[in-house]
Amino acid sequence: MKKILGIFALLVAVCVVTVLFSDRFLTAYNLENVIRRTALFGIISIGVAFVIITGGIDLSIGSLICLVGCGLPWLLSVKGLPLPVALAAVLGASLLIGLAHGLLITKLRLQPFVVTLCGLLLYRGLARGLTGDQTQGFGAAHDGLRWLATGKLAVPGLGGFGVPMPCVILLFVAIAAAVFLNHTIYGRYLLALGRNEQAARYSGIDTSHMILLAYVICSGLAGLGGTLFVLDVNSAQPVDFGNFYELYAVAAAVLGGCSLRGGEGAILGVVIGAALMQVLRNMITLTGLPTHIEFAVIGAVILVGVSADEVVKRLAAKRRAAREAVVG
Amino acid sequence: MNRSLARIPALLLVLLFAFVGCKKSDSGAGATPAAKKPRIAYVCNGVADFWSIAKVGAEKAGSDLSANVSVHMPTEGISDQKRIVEDLITRGVDGIAISPIDPVNQTDLLNKVAKQTKLITHDSDAPASDRLLYIGVDNYAAGRLCGALVKEALPNGGSIMIFIGRLEQDNAKRRRQGVIDEVLGRPHNPTNYDVPGTVLKNDKYTILGTLTDQFDRVAGKAHVEDTLSKHPDIGCMVGLFGYNPPLILEALKQAGKLGKVQVVAFDEDAATLQSIKDGNVHGTVVQNPYMYGYKSVELLLALQKGDKTVIPASKFIDIPARQIRKDNVEAFWSDLKIKLGKRD
Amino acid sequence: MTAPATPLLEVRRVTKQFPGVRALRSVNLSLGRGEVLAVIGENGAGKSTLMKILAGVQHPDSGEVRLDGAVIELRDVQAAQRHGIALIHQELNLAGNLDIGANIFLGREPARFGFVDRATIRSESAKFLAPLGLDLDPDTRVDDLPIGLQQLIEIAKALASRARVLIMDEPTSSLTQHESARLFQVIKDLRTQGVSVVYISHRLGEVKELADRVTVLRDGENAGELSRDAISHDAMVRLMVGRDVSQFYERKSHAPGEMMFEARAVRTPAHPRHEINFTLRAGEIVGLAGLVGAGRTELLQTLFGVAPAVGGELRVRGETVALRSPIDAIRSGIALVPEDRKQQGLVIEMAVSENLSLASLRRDQRGGFLNRPAEQAICDEMIPKLSIKTPSPAQPAQFLSGGNQQKVVLGKWLALAPRVLLLDEPTRGIDIGAKREIYALMDRLAAEGVAVLFVSSEMEEILGMADRVLVMHEGRLTGELSRAELGEEAVMQLATGGKKPARE
Repeated sequence: MKKILGIFALLVAVCVVTVLFSDRFLTAYNLENVIRRTALFGIISIGVAFVIITGGIDLSIGSLICLVGCGLPWLLSVKGLPLPVALAAVLGASLLIGLAHGLLITKLRLQPFVVTLCGLLLYRGLARGLTGDQTQGFGAAHDGLRWLATGKLAVPGLGGFGVPMPCVILLFVAIAAAVFLNHTIYGRYLLALGRNEQAARYSGIDTSHMILLAYVICSGLAGLGGTLFVLDVNSAQPVDFGNFYELYAVAAAVLGGCSLRGGEGAILGVVIGAALMQVLRNMITLTGLPTHIEFAVIGAVILVGVSADEVVKRLAAKRRAAREAVVG
Repeated sequence: MNRSLARIPALLLVLLFAFVGCKKSDSGAGATPAAKKPRIAYVCNGVADFWSIAKVGAEKAGSDLSANVSVHMPTEGISDQKRIVEDLITRGVDGIAISPIDPVNQTDLLNKVAKQTKLITHDSDAPASDRLLYIGVDNYAAGRLCGALVKEALPNGGSIMIFIGRLEQDNAKRRRQGVIDEVLGRPHNPTNYDVPGTVLKNDKYTILGTLTDQFDRVAGKAHVEDTLSKHPDIGCMVGLFGYNPPLILEALKQAGKLGKVQVVAFDEDAATLQSIKDGNVHGTVVQNPYMYGYKSVELLLALQKGDKTVIPASKFIDIPARQIRKDNVEAFWSDLKIKLGKRD
Repeated sequence: MTAPATPLLEVRRVTKQFPGVRALRSVNLSLGRGEVLAVIGENGAGKSTLMKILAGVQHPDSGEVRLDGAVIELRDVQAAQRHGIALIHQELNLAGNLDIGANIFLGREPARFGFVDRATIRSESAKFLAPLGLDLDPDTRVDDLPIGLQQLIEIAKALASRARVLIMDEPTSSLTQHESARLFQVIKDLRTQGVSVVYISHRLGEVKELADRVTVLRDGENAGELSRDAISHDAMVRLMVGRDVSQFYERKSHAPGEMMFEARAVRTPAHPRHEINFTLRAGEIVGLAGLVGAGRTELLQTLFGVAPAVGGELRVRGETVALRSPIDAIRSGIALVPEDRKQQGLVIEMAVSENLSLASLRRDQRGGFLNRPAEQAICDEMIPKLSIKTPSPAQPAQFLSGGNQQKVVLGKWLALAPRVLLLDEPTRGIDIGAKREIYALMDRLAAEGVAVLFVSSEMEEILGMADRVLVMHEGRLTGELSRAELGEEAVMQLATGGKKPARE
């Protein structure tokens, strides 16, 4: 809980600044938008958090989002597959890709960086090859399905504010992920092997299967994210759809308290990390800062955030050491 | 390890055969008239439906005029384009038509190419280079056509936001400037440049700003949404890259503001055209990528045969842009579909 | 050897305070010329702090250090070196990618016209290597030498900088018995050449062999001193722990019970040429002796399924088992307390409670969910049972002392009630009090019918605890000694590849 306090404070600070500079931030419409984007990025960030907890990394998320995001409308509109088949195909492909990553990493002992870097090239290339570089979209069709990304659940008494559907989906994903991580033996196994895989193996934990599972979860959620992204935007160009999203996801996970060394991570923190990035982008547009300095602002705020977090941690460790020295 | 080592000789063998095979087909082809076909390369600045249409035009010219035409779409920006051009020179081609991504900084490269083969630019010009001519639209003029559509859409004035992929490209800058100058009723001056980030206005119209998304569509849509948050009373949204108008429409639809906010578009995305039919987009300005492709190949072939008369004094061959509104969208769209070989 | 009137090096009333803890309280120490002084004490007694002060790494709050009777200021490591004091660290400080000569002259390279004078380095290096009995080409890369020789190079480097006092901190911790013997000879030779040595070690046997005098520290204070003729194992232990330890090794004799474990013609991946046969019975404590690198750890790893056997048969209680992974081994009732506690035994950043329950999670699960009450029950049982000293079960294991960490590893396995307990160097690097508790625990487990197999490089531990000893040499099981046959000589003979001595 303590770990996410810093990032939460940063999020509140950024929100307060935005409110001070823009009276539009707190409108129902804007909040719905920010929440929807947070949910979309939150889902893929939770996925990568699992992989990061094992001490691994997944660089292929953006490309997988591209493959799914272009693949789903392509299967529906170009190939004319029925909706359930197309959905099952893209989500199944995502899970299989995660399985392949996991097998290459645990059985062939390739480094996660290498495996998923190849994935980054492979899946985008695949998407481009399948679609012939044509922009994919649903046109005016599939409004029912697209409701999953664009719809909202009205909340009575909140003046037109509704909870965007992706947020509802995120809620399910996040609760399931948090329960899995904190209340099942498998979550404990993941945290243990992320800290020290050897000791975990020596304690009778099937570390290979757990790592495999983490990659399947990560790719599965990337697939779900990719589906929701394209349902929201309704247009996916294979060359650039989802470009760099793996880095947004990793950044959100790290902001949320995941250590790239593995073994640490809190789902709520990851969601807050994703929210921080989206609020920052929203702030830049609302306050009229030029969009081309967007990345500079995001980078600077993240850097300040993680630095401040580290400083606080060090101070706490020092205090603790001093206290224990007195006791000892 | 051993197994993969064992594969190396096999791989070499395959490569050898492939090489010999190539050689053979080259020399074999040399005997037939087909080999005498001049080779023309058509280099785009990225991957887009726009270029797919241009590709159809270029290839049509290739078959009409009997030339080998190859079309290249760089996927990773400027360095990728450089690689493609260098490889083309290595391979040897009779002419290159290129849409330079960064004309100012690519001058050296373009001049090198101009020494080796016939070079023309299309879509985006590089006036400082030794290119023989430029085929394209006058983006400033096209922008002004787009600005005129904005004024039609907002006869009583109002506020306007411009959405565009990026502003590094010359054509993007000029296109945007044309819109601004036309809306604000300034005189014709293609060398104007208003730095983004300031609000521009006259007594009737306010241009709130220009938002660039670097081709990230999720961000592009978010920009529209954030604009609706910040300016709920906005009058008109202008999408200047082909994919911008559909994103604007998507965000408006989700916000329930379709038809309440005017949209003026650029290029001919299917969603844009459909929305013109439906009345949700006032109009769009279309270039003629098909003609870019066709004319580029045609002129390069003429140049390759030594015909210098095709070069006009201005070195500019205008393929004018057109305004598409509800009245002419049907005709335009069906013609487009024919060119793309698509059937309804 | 009697201490001369003016000691070469003298430490007087040195006190050092760290935030919240006094590491040294008015400590005195004196070192004569050509004397080997052993400094011993439990972990945390202040040995390392004292040595760091002498090497100029840390500075005393009060008190003084005298060399030849004159007070000296040891501001930094360079100052200590100027005074001829050199610290030879547990972890070697050599540049492994450079050759021997370059290391000996590192930082003091002889130069001609601004170029390193390699000829001089070669000839001068030999001068420092020869007295150590080292006939090595100075151009040899240090990384290519075995660790024992590297240690001697480190000494040569110290001598080349004209060191008069060598401080050696646990120098034999990573040496084979053979290499240790060579090091001891060098130390004895240095003594005759007038070099003084401060020798820090946990291994009381070595201290007995080498030291002219022993200074014992306890809780940052002088606990006592033993002159050469007063040095005995019991005397040292008594001063270190501050109480009489009449029976250090606890081993009550038990009648061996049913056959627990059999290895038949087992071949390990590390030494696939050798077939290994042995048995363990319930209630037995069997020692596995041998030199470092004899294949003992590898054998335990095979028995635990970490490095599955490449041949042969393993039986637990008469039933053949396939041990392809630790999961299989655990299922068969086998547990391993590994040699490397921090890398293999514990998830060091995790809480004591989480480490204790880690191996039991699967057994105690409720349909995949954690069973918190069961986890709590393990803590409630193991922490008092093993007297694990921790402020709370939520304390990360990394903040515990080595001995308490080892008890957590043991507790993790005891929670599963194993039938066969494998221990790899179970008392390495832990203090004497915790050692004793672990010996007592081994004895108690044997009494409860567990079969215990433990690897140890400490002869005294083997002799003190084992009912029976298996000895390995270069991957081969060279012999087995019963309690009656057991003796230092016999073990060494087998460990160095000799034959089992004939029964008297």
